Amino acid sequence: MAKLVPKRKLRSQGPPSPIVKENAVPEDEGSIPEVILAADESDSDPEISTDGEESGEDDDGESMDDKEEDGEELGSDDEEDGDSQGSEYSSGDEGDESSGDDEAIDEEARNYVLDVMKDYLGSAGPRDVEEAVEHEDQGNGAGEANGQSGNPTTAEESDSSEDEVPDRNTIGDVPLEWYKNEDHIGYTKDGLKINKQAKRDQLDTFLSRTDDPNEWMKVYDEYNDEEVELTKDEINMIRRLRQGKIPHADVNPYEPYVDWFEYEDKGHPLSSAPEPKRRFIPSKWEAKKVVKLVRAIRKGWIKLDKPKEKSEFYLMWGDDLKTSDKGANGLAYIPAPKPKLPGHEESYNPPIEYIPTAEEIKSYDAMYEEDRPKFIPKSFPSLRQVPAYPNYIKEIFERCLDLYLCPRQKKDRKVFDPEMLIPKLPKPKDLQPYPSMCYMEYRGHGAAVTSMSVDSSGEWLATGSLDGTVRLWDVQSGRCRKAWDFGVKVNHVQWNPNPQINILGVAVDKDVVLLPTELGGEEVTGNVAALLALKNQDVSEKDPESSPLATWSMDSKFKSLKLRQPFVVQSLAWHHKGDYFATVAPDGNTKSVLVHQLTKQMSQNPFRKHHGRVVQVLFHPQRPFLFVATKMHVRVYNLAKQQLSKKLMTGLNEISSMAIHSGGDNLILGSQESKMVWFDMDLSTKPYKAFKNHTKDIRAVAFHKTYPLFASCSDDGTTSVFHGMVYSDLLQNPLLVPLKILTGHETVNHKGVMDCLFHPKQPWLFTSGADSLVRLYCN
Amino acid sequence: MDNTNGDGVERQVQVKFVTKLPPALRVVSSAFAIPAKLGRYGLSEVVNTLLGLEKPQPFDFLIDGELLRSSIEQFLLTKGITAETTLTIEYIPVVLPPEPQQPRAHDEWVSAVSGFNTRFIITGSYDNHGRIWNASGECVFLLHGHTDAVTSLAPIPAPRSSAKKLQLVTASKDHTLRFWQVALNEATSSTTTLKPVKRLKGHTSSVQSVAASPSGSEVCSGSWDTSIKLWSVRDDPDGEDDLGGKKRRLETGAVASAEKQVEARATLQGHTQVVGALDWSERDTIYSASWDHSLRTWDVESAVNTNILTCSKALHCLSVGGEGNSLLAAGGTDRILRIWDPRIPGTVAPVQQLSSHKGWISACKWHPKSAFHLLSASYDGTVKLWDTRAIIPLVTLSQHKDKVLSADWWKDDHIVSGGADSQLQIYSKLNLPF
Repeated sequence: MAKLVPKRKLRSQGPPSPIVKENAVPEDEGSIPEVILAADESDSDPEISTDGEESGEDDDGESMDDKEEDGEELGSDDEEDGDSQGSEYSSGDEGDESSGDDEAIDEEARNYVLDVMKDYLGSAGPRDVEEAVEHEDQGNGAGEANGQSGNPTTAEESDSSEDEVPDRNTIGDVPLEWYKNEDHIGYTKDGLKINKQAKRDQLDTFLSRTDDPNEWMKVYDEYNDEEVELTKDEINMIRRLRQGKIPHADVNPYEPYVDWFEYEDKGHPLSSAPEPKRRFIPSKWEAKKVVKLVRAIRKGWIKLDKPKEKSEFYLMWGDDLKTSDKGANGLAYIPAPKPKLPGHEESYNPPIEYIPTAEEIKSYDAMYEEDRPKFIPKSFPSLRQVPAYPNYIKEIFERCLDLYLCPRQKKDRKVFDPEMLIPKLPKPKDLQPYPSMCYMEYRGHGAAVTSMSVDSSGEWLATGSLDGTVRLWDVQSGRCRKAWDFGVKVNHVQWNPNPQINILGVAVDKDVVLLPTELGGEEVTGNVAALLALKNQDVSEKDPESSPLATWSMDSKFKSLKLRQPFVVQSLAWHHKGDYFATVAPDGNTKSVLVHQLTKQMSQNPFRKHHGRVVQVLFHPQRPFLFVATKMHVRVYNLAKQQLSKKLMTGLNEISSMAIHSGGDNLILGSQESKMVWFDMDLSTKPYKAFKNHTKDIRAVAFHKTYPLFASCSDDGTTSVFHGMVYSDLLQNPLLVPLKILTGHETVNHKGVMDCLFHPKQPWLFTSGADSLVRLYCN
Repeated sequence: MDNTNGDGVERQVQVKFVTKLPPALRVVSSAFAIPAKLGRYGLSEVVNTLLGLEKPQPFDFLIDGELLRSSIEQFLLTKGITAETTLTIEYIPVVLPPEPQQPRAHDEWVSAVSGFNTRFIITGSYDNHGRIWNASGECVFLLHGHTDAVTSLAPIPAPRSSAKKLQLVTASKDHTLRFWQVALNEATSSTTTLKPVKRLKGHTSSVQSVAASPSGSEVCSGSWDTSIKLWSVRDDPDGEDDLGGKKRRLETGAVASAEKQVEARATLQGHTQVVGALDWSERDTIYSASWDHSLRTWDVESAVNTNILTCSKALHCLSVGGEGNSLLAAGGTDRILRIWDPRIPGTVAPVQQLSSHKGWISACKWHPKSAFHLLSASYDGTVKLWDTRAIIPLVTLSQHKDKVLSADWWKDDHIVSGGADSQLQIYSKLNLPF
């Protein structure tokens, strides 16, 4: 019985809620509540009991929550419940009044129920909790059975837990203690007093507990002064609450979130009200606050930065070696070197191992003065006997010198590795083949060889020399096959690029001689002879007044065709088809460049004027362009449109030679200021790269037809061979690598290598020198 | 027996001498301990002492199929052979330098020379003529017909005519080849001028090389027009009439009309540059070397290029022979004579590179009988005799005063060479062991 005491206390402290333990404080012990009776009955008939309990429970738990109910349900409940109370209640004012505190009260009430249940279960005496739970399970089963067995309303009611059986008592929400001393607990709907029931004594309680297995499910309703039996559902609910779960089992707390508001594709905020004015006005309040803070800071009430506490300990010699801190002038501070601190050996009485032996002292004399130890440790019996240090002044002086001479500034000097500045180029070894070694010499000329040309097959080499001869060499054997003696120095020789017309164009003095080489078969020789036969003899004679550009005539000596011009012809260039050729007579002014046609034997002057002295002309290897090199510029003329297409700004003062890449987009120029420049005409009209690889004038430059090679030869007697890879990819610049300097020619009269020329098919280079030799360099 | 034993102690090796020479020149086959520092000369002295010859005879020594060219010690060191076991050394008589004979002077550079016929030497020259020299050094025939320099010539092997009749084909820079028949029974000392029997016309550029098939019925020629052409030269019965070498009295054109014109039977296209040399020593296979840095093998029947070997240099000369008659020796615009072995599957690199010349190699020729000996001629003016078992040449012949353009074996123990000094040099009495 002592167990019940705290429960009572709890109950007394509790709110005026209607929830009371079943066997609590019934004053009138004799009276037995109706509900209990009903519960007793329920043993035999669970269906009825459930119903009854249900209604009672509804009263207990949820009476405060909801007073507005469906009439129908109410009605149905009433009918089942019983005659007297069923119709008593009607939804009314009370509910409304109490609704304000509903939730809080409900919550508290729930707690109480829980507590009570806990206590009850704990105090169940012989039955422990497990049994209780087991019991509940049975009860559950029974409940379920009930639910199934034909009480669909139960489920419905549990769903809408709001519908209630109205209270029997109508006193409303008043403290129950008002009725403490009364015989009644309140009034019925009809105004009749409800008398207090007789309290059960403890024996009764015990008996009922032993008798009624559902006793533990009963709760005393103080408000209505009756005991109600909790249904299985309610017990489950309580249990769930105690476990911290949601009371109703069928509520899913994790239901998918339903977004009720559309926000996508909504351009406007929820409210389209204009921005209020206050948003645009500086806040007065804030201003005041700021003023306040400022004043506080000024007066020192608010301290912003607390001075950092200096560490008590610091590294005394810490700054001795620091040199990295930069001063105000940006220079690093270098402290003066520290003098060496005295050690053990400077002690007046050093340990014996510091004192040198007599032999060691003797050995010092043999040392250089600089290597000798500055101080020889010596032992004295007492400090008094230490004599004055003889080197004191000297040491101080040296120290002064140290301080005086020590560097005081640190200057960063940039260290350049000269290797780093050189561009990364592939090794020549990897760019083979290229001409590197002289394997053949063509001997026979008596003077400097000025010009060379190889026929398209690479079998024959023609050379022109200052000794007045043009020689034809067998490239393979080095044999001179033929020599034509003109008697005047030969300026230029050039094979016709057409293999079917193997004639040689030779520029001799004022003449251009077209020599038949008679190398082809009989038919070819015949064709060439026919080609070289003078055709329009009469034309030249017809109008002598018009001073023809060039006179075509036959030369019976060599069976050749001769073209006489008024000025010395320095060079000639064939068009790639072999029909046209251009000649350059630099002294000719406006007539310095003439274009001749072989088949028609016609000459024409395509230019009215030249900007400077013309040095060389070249035909584009594929397209109708003519490159005219003057001393300082190269002009590219479009022959089809008859207009200037491009002007290359060479930056050179004395162009001496020109060569064009077989692709036609790249050009090299050699100059007399010993510079060679490479033009990528797709890239720019300015040089792509310039080489200063010779010490004297560059005489000639040459491109290889198929291999990525080019070369320049100079009066310093050397020939430089370069790798010049031109990529078909327009984004990639040509790769130019110096490969080899070929020597071998001797310098005669300040003239070195006069001409250089690549073999058309092999990576070989011919060079001709002022020493009258022609050399062949092979890979 | 280590070096650490001290300077005074000589290293010794156990050797055993073997030889294939006649019994008179055989030493006892027991092992000797000889100083390891001995070279060829020292070993030769040892063998001579063992033989007890009255007149000392020089020997060459083969260790593991390689000619000893340094001291034994060094040889073992470089080869990684242990000095502990008994070394078997084979000795062979040394190849002594042949005796140069009186050179035969030409009017022009000698571009081609052939010692195919054992009684006569055939030369081609830049004076457009071919010449046939007898053993006593007289020019017995002058082959007149080309209008440009003769570049190459090929005697046609014909067993039945070996004694009486010599057939040959010459290639020339005049774009043609000429076929000659020479009756050799005329023992005249005066020079007879012959005219060609056939003119093989078809190349559109200078003909650089020519080779005759082993059967003697066909020749192939390589030209500057990059093609190889096959010609049939099977002699017709009426060709016999032209024998006898009637004196040339007519003009060039008249001669040309008199001779028979032959068209090419087939053309082998594949090379991209001049075909520098041809070899047709096997019945169905033509080997060609070209300036396009390739060595090609052609199947004659199908006229298909069956194999390509590449080199980094333009090639001038080619010879098939040596071991198993299948090694390819080729030289070109380089100092190195390269030897390929096409029998090795997937062969790319040469198996041997002989490097001693100082100029382009103009000719190379395997000895017709020996498997190891070949000669090479170079623009540096020398002819070198090589033994493939040694990396340095056996003999260097430098009688020429200018470029040597051609060289060949003659009568197995002679070497003939022609050069830019317009001389035909003949070296005789070559004692080749084979």
